[in-house]
Amino acid sequence: MSLPSRKLQVRFFAVLREQAGCSSVTVESFALTAAALYAELQSRFPALTFPAALLRVSLNERYADMTAPLSAGDRIVFIPPVAGG
Amino acid sequence: MFELTSSPIDPAALRTRLAAPEAGALTVFEGRVRNHHQGRPVARLEYEAFDEMARLEGEAIVAESENIHAGATVLCVHRTGTLQIGEIAVWIGVASAHRQTGFAACRHVIEELKLRLPIWKKEHHPDGASEWVNCTVEAGSNAAGDDTHARQVALPEIGPGGQARLAAARVLIVGLGGLGCPAALYLAGSGIGHLTLVDGGKVERSNLARQILFTTAEIGGPKVVAAAARLRLHHPAGRISAHAGDLTAGNARTLVAGQDVVLDCSDNFATRFVLHDACLALGVPLVQAAVHRFEGTLDVFQRGAGGCLHCLWPGRPAAELDFAGNCDGAPVFGPAVGVLGVMQAAEAIKLVLGLEGLAPRQTRLVNLLDGTQLAIERPVRADCPVCARLDQLKAATEQLAASDAALLIDAADVSALGLSARVIFLTEPGDDLSAPGMARTVPAHDLARLRELAADGPLVLACRHGLRSAALARMLRAEGMGAVRALAGGNPPAGLQSFLR
Repeated sequence: MSLPSRKLQVRFFAVLREQAGCSSVTVESFALTAAALYAELQSRFPALTFPAALLRVSLNERYADMTAPLSAGDRIVFIPPVAGG
Repeated sequence: MFELTSSPIDPAALRTRLAAPEAGALTVFEGRVRNHHQGRPVARLEYEAFDEMARLEGEAIVAESENIHAGATVLCVHRTGTLQIGEIAVWIGVASAHRQTGFAACRHVIEELKLRLPIWKKEHHPDGASEWVNCTVEAGSNAAGDDTHARQVALPEIGPGGQARLAAARVLIVGLGGLGCPAALYLAGSGIGHLTLVDGGKVERSNLARQILFTTAEIGGPKVVAAAARLRLHHPAGRISAHAGDLTAGNARTLVAGQDVVLDCSDNFATRFVLHDACLALGVPLVQAAVHRFEGTLDVFQRGAGGCLHCLWPGRPAAELDFAGNCDGAPVFGPAVGVLGVMQAAEAIKLVLGLEGLAPRQTRLVNLLDGTQLAIERPVRADCPVCARLDQLKAATEQLAASDAALLIDAADVSALGLSARVIFLTEPGDDLSAPGMARTVPAHDLARLRELAADGPLVLACRHGLRSAALARMLRAEGMGAVRALAGGNPPAGLQSFLR
C-alpha cells in the first residue's frame, strides 16, 4: 500500500523567493515532514540552494520544527534569516 | 571659527577673511535687530552672554558643522551689549566649493546657535518697559497656541493625556539606515520627548535614495550628527541625543537602561542579538525590523511574553546567520525599508501609549512586491537558555517574596520610604561601574558593608535581575534588619534610573 500524495500550499520568503523564481506554489507531495518537502522542492527548483539547516518553517501561520509532520491542505512558508536595514 | 564681540560687526571685513581661490561660493546669514517681537514694538536690544561657555559652545557648533559639511569653512561672530534697530547681532559666513554645502552649513549653524548658545537678550520697548527673553526658538509643544500635534491629539486613542505620555517618553534607535531614518522622523513628529540615536557610520551618496534624513550636503559626515540636526529642526521641543559609535556588548546595557522602547534598525545579527539580550535583561520592549530586497519582517519582543530571538534561532551563532542573511551592500527596494521603518515607529508609539499593537510573539512578514502581509506566531521554547532562564529567576524571586509580604517594593513606592531611604545597586564582577546611574553601588559579596548600610535606616537593594537583591534583603531581614527591602523586577525599571541619577 502506498501513501497518497497531498496538496500543500508553499510560500517562499526573501532569498528563497529569488532562488525558486516564484513567491508561492501549490504542490502534490508525498513528503511527510517540512524537511522532506524542502528537499523535494530543491530537486524541482535546482536554483533553490539555500541550506535547510539555516531555515525556519511556518506551518499554518506558526513557526514549527523542520521535522513537523505535514497534512493535506497545510500552508507552509519557508523563511531564511533576514537582517538588512 | 567662532567669536564674541562687543563692537559693531563689519561684514566687509569678515567676507575678506573668508576669501579663498578654491571657494566658489560664499553663503552669508545676517541676524539683525528688528523693531518688533510677538506684536510688541522694540526700541533696542541688549545681549548678554555667559562668556566662556558661549565661546566653547559656539566653537563646538562651528566645528560640528565643518565636520558634517565636508569642505565648508565657517566664520561666525555674535554681538554682545546694546544694539540699535537694524544692527547685526549675529553674522555667519561659509566659504565652500559649491553652493549646496554653503547653504546647508549656514542653516545648520544658525539653527544650532538658536538652540544651544547661552546668550540672552533684553528687549527694550519704546514705552520704557523691558524684559529678558530667551534667544532660543520658541518651545514647541509648551507654547500657547502651538498646534504641532493637534491632528493626532484629536484622535480619541491619543488625546492630551496620550500626548503628554509621548512627551515624557524616551526611545532609543539603533541604526540610522533605511529603517532608522523614517522611524526617527515619525517618532520625532509624534512628539517623543527624548530620542537617542546610535550609529557609527558616515553618510554616503548611495544612502540617499532611502535614508531620508540625509542630503547631499552631509555626505562624508557622521550619520547621527546630521540626523540629530535634521530632527531638531523637525521637532524643536524634543531632546535628541546622538551616540556616534556602534552598539557593542560593552555599551548596550548603558544605552538601553531607562528607555521606554527600543528600535532595532540595524543590519546584522551580531548587533541584533546584543541589543535583544540587553532589552530582555532590562525589561525594555524591543521593536525589530529587517529587510531583504522587497520583503521585510517585523517583530516586537517583550520580556515575559516568551518567544524571544533565541527561541526563534536556537543555538545559531550570529555570524552564521549574518553570512546567510546579511545585506551589507545588497540590493534593496527603497520603499520596503521605508514601510518597515514606519511600521516600527507605529509599534513604538503604541507601546508608549499602551494601545493594542502587534500580537505578542508575532512575526509579521511584509512583501512589497505582491502587496501581501502574513502573521506568524513565534515559538516558545521551555528550555530557552535566555528567556526561560529569566522567567525562572522571576519565579524564584516571587517565591522569596511569597515568604515575606514586605520584602519587595516597587520603584514608584520608594519615595514613600522618606528622604533617608537609599537605593543601592548590587554589582557583580564585570559590571561597568562608569556607566551613568552606577554612582551608588556595593559589590553583592560585601555583606559587612550591606549590614552597615542596613543599620543606618531604610535601604532598598536592587540588582540586575531582581533575584540576588531579593535573596540578600530576605537574609538581612531575617537577621532583624526590617528596614531592608528589595526593588521588584530587577534593574532598572525606568524609575530606578532617576533615583540613581
